[in-house]
Amino acid sequence: MNLSDSKKKLAAAGVVCGLVAVCLAYFGNPANMAFCIACFIRDTAGALGLHSTETVQYARPEIIGLVLGSFIISVAAKEYRSTAGSSPAVRFILGMILAIGSLVFLGCPLRMIIRMSAGDLNAWVALIGFVLGVGTGVFALKKGFSLGRAHLTNRVSGGVLPALMLGILALAAATPLLKSSSGGPGSMHAPLLLALAGGLIFGVFAQKSRMCLAGGIRDAILMKNFDLLTIIGGFFAVMLIYNIVSGNFIPAFDTPGVIAHSEHLWNILGMYAVGFAAVLAGGCPLRQLILAGQGSSDSAVTVTGMFIGAALAHNFGLAASGTAMDAQTQKVVEGAVPFYGKIAVLICIAVCFIIAFTNKRTEGK
Amino acid sequence: MRKKEKKLVVTFHTTADAMAMEKACREYNVPGRLIPVPRSISAGCGMAWCMAVEDRDKILRVLKERNIEQEDVHECML
Repeated sequence: MNLSDSKKKLAAAGVVCGLVAVCLAYFGNPANMAFCIACFIRDTAGALGLHSTETVQYARPEIIGLVLGSFIISVAAKEYRSTAGSSPAVRFILGMILAIGSLVFLGCPLRMIIRMSAGDLNAWVALIGFVLGVGTGVFALKKGFSLGRAHLTNRVSGGVLPALMLGILALAAATPLLKSSSGGPGSMHAPLLLALAGGLIFGVFAQKSRMCLAGGIRDAILMKNFDLLTIIGGFFAVMLIYNIVSGNFIPAFDTPGVIAHSEHLWNILGMYAVGFAAVLAGGCPLRQLILAGQGSSDSAVTVTGMFIGAALAHNFGLAASGTAMDAQTQKVVEGAVPFYGKIAVLICIAVCFIIAFTNKRTEGK
Repeated sequence: MRKKEKKLVVTFHTTADAMAMEKACREYNVPGRLIPVPRSISAGCGMAWCMAVEDRDKILRVLKERNIEQEDVHECML
């Protein structure tokens, strides 16, 4: 199955992923968070006890499904390649930045698209930052940025993250060991098997189509190639139709209940850090999970960094709060980015610059 | 729709190598362009150098003289 030989097939892959997200939103995932990689990694980190914010703890089967879906389809298509060795420690840091930047904006690039499709103008503002971040990453690429090549390694190495995901699934399904929110976003979820199936389908189509938000913009800037953006277009169209039909399309800023805030500068800077780090790491959070599934230990390290970054974001109170309606006073309480969250984003951006301009391709090595 | 023709596609281990190739080819006047690695070649998401099949010898010279390590050279309908 080659999805990349025509724009129509690529758009269709995006449509399938959009339908999965719609289905999961309909069956219980939080509003506007139908399929968010950063939020779901954060929830899973909470389930494992890596952070103690009680409202965001749940082992999201979507994350497990994405990695396993990519693993299964890449093994079946003989595309599984166990690789490692491209500056793993730097990638760990980039993973942390991906998570922290996302949680200051309140969503990964995929959720940014979902929020945009629901009329959330904050996400449109954040898109500016994301594009600028990717643009800065492209500039670094043009200046010779490289984390070095990955090498083929023992086949088992690439299977470790999929195996760990399987382990989390077993713990979630058969034991009471994992934490699970009784209120807040963590308590809102589609049934386990449905969410797992959704993750598997999404994982397969994302692996086949190479869906990547940062890659899409990178390719458009660098090579005038719009293949990856075509997939996002299909995904966005489905979500837009769903939101309009279901009455969830509300073009506004301070909308209570959609888990978003209107601190424009920090929406922009949060996604700037994510776009920048994603280009340096070779893919957005979604793509990192897919690459890890098809055997990249480097991406598995990036994913681990995202888990730790998400945990730190909550342990240190860096994550933003969403605009919400106070149940008692019935007044809208505006969401905000905490002081230390702002400092963290600035540090993340500074670290991205250091990584971008100190890791160079060695000529004639 | 543009008719597909056979092209030479050079893949690299890193994006930086692909970009170094672009720079070198501009200097050596070897026509071509950077493209995303065709999906039929790889499930990865790097970049490749796409050029006319007839220029194979020229490109091998550029690779050697500039010490750029290619991953592979493919012929693809693009």
